[in-house]
Amino acid sequence: MSDLVTIDWPVLAPALAPAAGVVVVLVGDAALPRRGGGRWALPVAAVVLLLGALAAAAAAVGAGAQTLRTLCLPAPDGACLWTAGPRTSTLQAGILLAAAAALALLHDGRPRPRDRAVSATLLLAATTGGVAVAAASDLGSWLVALELATVPAVALVALRGSRAAAHGALTLLVTSLVSFALLVLGAALWLTATGDATFSADTVALAWADPQRRAVLVLAVTLLVAGLGFKLSLVPFHAWTPQAYATTDLGTAVFLAAASKLAAVAALLVPVAAIVGAGLDAPALVVLLGVPAVASLGLGTVVALRQTDPVRLLAWSTIAQAGWIVVPLTALDAPALRAAAAYALVYAAATTVAFAAVARTGARTLEDHRGLLRRDPLAGGALGLALLVLAGLPPGVVGLVVKVLALAPPVNAGVWPVVAAGVVAVVVGIAVYLRWFTVLLSGSGDRPAASPAGPVVSQRATRVVLVVGSAGLVLASALPTLLLDLLS
Amino acid sequence: MTPWLLVGLPVAAAVLGVALRRNDLLARAVAVGLGAATLLVAVLAWALADGSAVSAGPGLRAGELAVPLDLVLDPTRGALAAVVALVALAVQVYSTWYLETDDRYGQFAATVSLFTGAMLLVVVSADLLLTVVGWEVMGWCSYLLIGHWSRRAAARRAALKAFLVTRVADIGFVLGIIGLAAGAGSTSLSAVLAPWRRPTACIDAALADGALAGEALTACGAPDGALRATLLVLVVVGILGKSAQVPFQDWLADAMEGPTPASALIHAATMVAAGTVVLAALFPVFADSPAARWFLGVAVAVTMLLAALLAFAQTDLKRMLAWSTVSQVAVMLSAVAAAPPADGADAGLLHLWSHALFKSLLFLAIGWAALAAGGTAAMALRGSAAAAPVLRTGFLVGFLSLAGVPLVVVGGLSKEHVLVTAWDGAVQADGPGVLVLVALVLTAAVTAAYSTRGYLVLTAHVRQQPTATGVPAVVHGVLWVLVLLTVFGSLVVLTGSFAVHQVSALWMLLSVLVIGVGVAVALRGGFDRDPAQVLARRFVPVADAGLGVDLLYRRVVATPVLRLARLVAFVDTEVVDAYVRGSAVATRAAGWAGARLHRAERPSAAVGLVLTGVVLLGALGVLAWS
Repeated sequence: MSDLVTIDWPVLAPALAPAAGVVVVLVGDAALPRRGGGRWALPVAAVVLLLGALAAAAAAVGAGAQTLRTLCLPAPDGACLWTAGPRTSTLQAGILLAAAAALALLHDGRPRPRDRAVSATLLLAATTGGVAVAAASDLGSWLVALELATVPAVALVALRGSRAAAHGALTLLVTSLVSFALLVLGAALWLTATGDATFSADTVALAWADPQRRAVLVLAVTLLVAGLGFKLSLVPFHAWTPQAYATTDLGTAVFLAAASKLAAVAALLVPVAAIVGAGLDAPALVVLLGVPAVASLGLGTVVALRQTDPVRLLAWSTIAQAGWIVVPLTALDAPALRAAAAYALVYAAATTVAFAAVARTGARTLEDHRGLLRRDPLAGGALGLALLVLAGLPPGVVGLVVKVLALAPPVNAGVWPVVAAGVVAVVVGIAVYLRWFTVLLSGSGDRPAASPAGPVVSQRATRVVLVVGSAGLVLASALPTLLLDLLS
Repeated sequence: MTPWLLVGLPVAAAVLGVALRRNDLLARAVAVGLGAATLLVAVLAWALADGSAVSAGPGLRAGELAVPLDLVLDPTRGALAAVVALVALAVQVYSTWYLETDDRYGQFAATVSLFTGAMLLVVVSADLLLTVVGWEVMGWCSYLLIGHWSRRAAARRAALKAFLVTRVADIGFVLGIIGLAAGAGSTSLSAVLAPWRRPTACIDAALADGALAGEALTACGAPDGALRATLLVLVVVGILGKSAQVPFQDWLADAMEGPTPASALIHAATMVAAGTVVLAALFPVFADSPAARWFLGVAVAVTMLLAALLAFAQTDLKRMLAWSTVSQVAVMLSAVAAAPPADGADAGLLHLWSHALFKSLLFLAIGWAALAAGGTAAMALRGSAAAAPVLRTGFLVGFLSLAGVPLVVVGGLSKEHVLVTAWDGAVQADGPGVLVLVALVLTAAVTAAYSTRGYLVLTAHVRQQPTATGVPAVVHGVLWVLVLLTVFGSLVVLTGSFAVHQVSALWMLLSVLVIGVGVAVALRGGFDRDPAQVLARRFVPVADAGLGVDLLYRRVVATPVLRLARLVAFVDTEVVDAYVRGSAVATRAAGWAGARLHRAERPSAAVGLVLTGVVLLGALGVLAWS
C-alpha cells in the first residue's frame, strides 16, 4: 500500500484523533453497554478532541509557513490528497476545540442526552469530516468529508426525540440533501470544466482562458457556493438555521453554530483558494459570492433585531456573521483568505461563549438576563464580552480587528456594494448586540433574583468553556497579532 | 534653570496647598513660605539677569510644528517677575488675616499660588504655547477667586460673567496665537517673531532700486500684511477681554464680589496686566502692523476715558478702584499701541510695574478700611482711613500715585513715560499716537479728580472714628512696605531694567497743570462734600450700572445665542433626528417583515428558498459573465 500512497501519520493526527475516538466509543459501548450508564463516553470523546486540537495547533505553530502534505500519489507528480498550511491547521484546531465545547454543553445539558455513546459518536464523526474537508484538495475526498461533516449533525438534531426536534431535523435533512445534490453537481461541473479532479490553480486558469469552459466553471462555482451556502447558513440557504438551533439542545446548537461553520468555511476556502491562486479577473465570481454575502448581512442583522429568544437571536446572528465571513472573499485575493479564516475563528469563539452563557443561565428570553452581570458575574461577564466581540466594540477589540480585516480586501478591490452593506450591517449589528448587552447591565428591576435555570446541577464543564473561551477572547483582544500570525 | 524654579515654586505651593487645605496652619505656612521663596528667587533672578538668557525646555515636535517650550529671563522680565511675586506675597500675608475665619481659606491660598505661577509663566515664557497655558490657567483661577464666596448668588454670577466674557474674547487670542505659530512653524517666540517681521531694510533697498511695492514685498519674503493684521487683531481681541477693555469692560467691576485680596491680585499684578506683557513680547511684529495698532489704540483710548469717568461717579469705592484699574490698564496698553517701533513697549511695562505697587496698596488698604467701616460704599467708608496711621499714609501715597503726580511717587514717573512715548508716536504719525495722546491728557485730569474724591471721602472728618482691632503687626508691615515702594519705586528706572527715555521738565509741568485742573474741578464742592454728588449727581446711578452694558451683553449676545441654540436644538431633534428615527423604524420594520417571512418553518419552504437561490445565482453568474 505504501507503494501507492505515502502516508505521514503525524500530519493526519488532527483527523485521525476523532476517527479513533469513534472507534473507541463504539467498541467500548459494544463491549460494556451498561458500564456507568455510558457516562464515560463524553469525557473520552472530549479528551480525544483535545488531543486532536493539540496536534493541529502544533502543526499550525510548528510548521511555520510551509504546507504539510501527505497521502501523496505517485502520479501525477505532487498530487497530495491532504494539504494543510498554517491557515488550515489553525482552522482544524478551531473545529476540534469548538466540538469539544459542544461536548461540554451536551454533558451539562438538561435533559441529559438519551444515548451518550451515540451522541459522542455522531459528534466525533462530524468533527472528523470537518477536519478532513479543511485539508482535502481533491474533489473526491472533499465531497466525502463534507458529507461526513453534515449527516451526523442532522442525526444529532433528530436524536433529541421531541416532535419539534424531528421537525427541525427534517428541514435540516431535506435542505442538506438538496445542497449535497447541488455540491455533487457542482463538483462534476468543476471536473468537466477543468479536467482535473483536484482544486488546482493552474487548471482553473486554463479553464478560464477558454470561453466555453469558462461558462461551465461559473456554473460549477454557482452550485458549489449554493451547496456550501447551506452549511454556512448564507441567505437564501439559511432557512433551517433558526429552527434547528431552537429545537435542538444547546450542545448540538453550538456544534452547528461553531464547529460546523468552521468546517464549512474551511471547505469554502479550498475552491476559493484555487480561484485566487489562478489570479482571475472574474466579476461573475464576485457577484456569485457578493450577492449571498450582502443578503445574509442584511436579512440576518435585521431579523436578529426583532428576536426575543436568545437562541434564535444567536441563530440569526449566525446568518449575519456568515455574510461577514464571505465579505472579504469577494475581493478574490490572498489577504481575503486570511481575513475570512480569522473572522470565522473569532465568530466561532464568541458564539460558543454566548451559547455557554445561555446554557448556564437557562434563559428563554432576553429579559431573563436582566441584571445578569450582578447576579452571575462569570456568565454575565463572559456573555457581555462575547456580545461586544460580535458587535465589534471595545473592549472586544478582536471583533473590531477582524471586521476591519474583512472590509479591507473589498475596499482595496473596489467592491463598493459589499463594503456599503458591511458598513450598514456594522451599525445595525451594534443595535442587535447592545440590545442584549444593556439588559445584562441594567438593574434587576422588579424581577426576582432567582434565575429560571431550574434545578441546580453541576455545570463544571460549561464553566470551563466560559472561562477558556473568555480568556481566549481577552487574549486575542489584547494581542490580535497572535491570532493573525497563526493564519498567515 | 531659574525661570523654571520661578514658575515651579508657586505651582508646588498650589499643589501642596490643595493637599493640606484642611489644616489652616499648614496651608498658611506653605502659601506664605513658598511665596517668600518665590519672591527671593525672582529678586535674585532680576539682580543677576544680564541680557536675555533662554532656558531650554523639553522640546517637542507636533507634526510640522516645533514646540521648544523655552523660558527666557532678561532684566525687564526679572523686574516684572519680582513685582508679581512681591504683590502675591503681600496678598498671601494679608489673606492669612483677612480670611482668618473663612472655612475655605486653604483653597483660596492654593488658588492664589497657582494664579501667581500662571502669571509668572506668562512673564518668563519664550514659547507661545506656554503663554497660552498661563493665560488659560489665569482665566480659570480668576473664576475660582471671584466666586470664592460661592454661597452668594452675586459672587457666582460675577465669576461666571468674568469667565464667559474672557472666554469669548479668548477665542480670538487662541486663534491669533495658533495663526502666528502656524505661520512660523514653531511656537518659540523668537522663531515666531522673525518671519512675521517686515524686513524693512530689504524693502527700502528694493524700493530705492525702483522696484514696485508688490515686487519688493515678494522679493524680500515679507509676510502677508493683511493676514498678519488679522492675526494680531485676534490676539488683541483676547487681550481686550482679559484686560477688561471696551467692549469687554464690564466684568471687572462685577468681579469686586470676590474677596479683596483676590481683587488686589487680579488688578495689581496678574490677569488684567497679562495682556500688556504678551503684547510687549510680540511688540516687534505688532509695531509693524498699523491696522492692529489702530485697533488697539482706539479701544484703549475709549476705555481709559470712559472707565475714568465711570470711576469718578461710583458710589462704591471698591468699584471705583476697579474702574480705575480698567483705565490704568488702558494707559499701559496705550503705550504699546502708540510707541514708535524703535522705542519698544517698555514704557507700558514700567507703568505695569508701578501700577502693581500702588494698586495693591490701595486695594489692601481699602479692604482693611471696609472691614473697619462695615461696607465698601462711599457713605460707609467716609473717614475710615482714621482706623490706622498706615491707612492714612497709604491712601495719600496711593491716590497721589494713581493721579500720576510727577516726581513724588512711582505712578507719576511711569505715566510721564507713557505720555512721552505717546508723543513720540504722535510725532512720527505712524499709528494712533495723536488719539492716544489726547485721551491720555483727558484721562489724567479725570483720574486726578476721582483720586481727589477717593482721598477726600476716605479721610473726611467724622465724629465716630472707625476702629479695626486685632490687625496683626505683619499686615501693618506689608502695607508699610508697599507704601515705601510706592514712594521710592520710581528708582527702578535707575537699574536700567526698562529701556525708557529721559522725561523733560516741560512734560512734568504740563502734567502738573492737567492734574491741577482735575483736582480743582473735584474740589468745587469744598473739602467736606463728595465731589461725585456735587458734579455728577445724575450720572451716578448710570455709572453704578456700568452704563447698562450688562443688559447690552444680555440683549446683544446672550439672547441671540440662546435663540440660536434653541433653533439648532430644534433642528437637531425634529429634523436631523427624524431621519435617524426613520432609519430605526425602517430597520425594525424590515426585521418584522423578515421574521414574518420565516414564520412558517417548513422543509418545503426551505427547499424552495434553496432552489430559488440557485436559479437566481446561476442567472446572475451567467449574466455577469456574458
